[in-house]
Amino acid sequence: MELSEDLQRGLHRLADPALFTPKSFAALIRAAFLSVSEAQAAETALDDAELQPIEPALVKHCHAAATTCILEAVKHNADRAGLSTFLEDCKFDKDRTELFWTEYQKNKESLETLLGSIGTSPPHITDVTWRLQYQIKSNQLYRHYRPGYLVNLTVESSDANQKPDISFNCSMEQLQDLLGKLRDAAKSLERTSQM
Amino acid sequence: MTEFSQQMAHLYCNGMAVEPVIQLKFPVGRILMVHTAELSCDVVGEFGRIAVEFLRKGSNPKVYEGAARKLEVSSTTIQQAVEGLTYLLTESSKLMISEVDFQDSVLVLGFQEEINKVLLQLYLDNRKEICQILTELEPSLSHYHNMEWRLDVQLASRSLRHQIKPTITMKLHLKQNEQLSTQVLQTDPATLLHLIQELEQALAEMKTNHCRRIVRNIK
Repeated sequence: MELSEDLQRGLHRLADPALFTPKSFAALIRAAFLSVSEAQAAETALDDAELQPIEPALVKHCHAAATTCILEAVKHNADRAGLSTFLEDCKFDKDRTELFWTEYQKNKESLETLLGSIGTSPPHITDVTWRLQYQIKSNQLYRHYRPGYLVNLTVESSDANQKPDISFNCSMEQLQDLLGKLRDAAKSLERTSQM
Repeated sequence: MTEFSQQMAHLYCNGMAVEPVIQLKFPVGRILMVHTAELSCDVVGEFGRIAVEFLRKGSNPKVYEGAARKLEVSSTTIQQAVEGLTYLLTESSKLMISEVDFQDSVLVLGFQEEINKVLLQLYLDNRKEICQILTELEPSLSHYHNMEWRLDVQLASRSLRHQIKPTITMKLHLKQNEQLSTQVLQTDPATLLHLIQELEQALAEMKTNHCRRIVRNIK
């Protein structure tokens, strides 16, 4: 796990008891975790009372360092030993390292989900709706009886140009073909997960 | 629209009102203009073959010229006769009329008995194919053509290492008016199972009593 020099300096300052009392250190660390979460309070994380007396520029610098450290740790799935070593190199004493680790454990899973969802991917299907109709007549063919399906796939995408729905018609045979292929995919998924 | 469908549309613009027994007037009567006395079964059979080819592939002026020379009439007459016969066949197929109704309709033209038989046989032999061709003229909405799928496992991304994220990537082929389009889509295992469940229900609907009753009663 590596941080830039500037951010490492920020962590050094955060570790300094002269600049941050244990209470204000705890407040800053909690604020850092809160600001990368998806909670509503994330926007006002740095308004904590404990942080008011400290110089704002310092708070901002240390906050940036702390959040970067958190995200890098989650990204690389840091274990206790690795993280402790890294923080001790930044002059964190035992108590501060312990506090950081506790908060990290609490928030790790939600942060992993958040980071995992960042990135481009093809439009993601979330739901399907269907409609069965029975065609009895058209102006070209008067006695033409056949059932048909209208299938609508609900789709989510990061691309703003993508329509939220994909619709298409199919006959019974076509729907059976589609279903057969989906079943094959599911079977292969099951087989792979059992390996 | 292909040249063929344009010609079909032209035929329908000149068509008659539709009823269970076809009202044949002007178009088919043109056949009578072709030397009524010489109208033998072979000639009618030949006209029938030309008409069916016309429905399959569109008009072929060379064929008209050949027939015109053989029968010693203008090729325009031949063309009109073929169009009339085509009209007869398409209207009959469109309504899927019974043999009896077809014979009654053709009786109006005053042909000999053998010729009526030839026409009837022509209708019965070709009506399935003509129905097929007519369905191609219906308004076409995008419909399913094919689907390819692929199972992927995402192991890492720029924002997060050490992942195990299974996804199913699919390429959906859709067809509209002879044009193929593809769409790449993705889904997760849980949604895939949900899709399968929903579509199985959709297919099973046709077998329910409700649908069976409707299918039985609408004929």
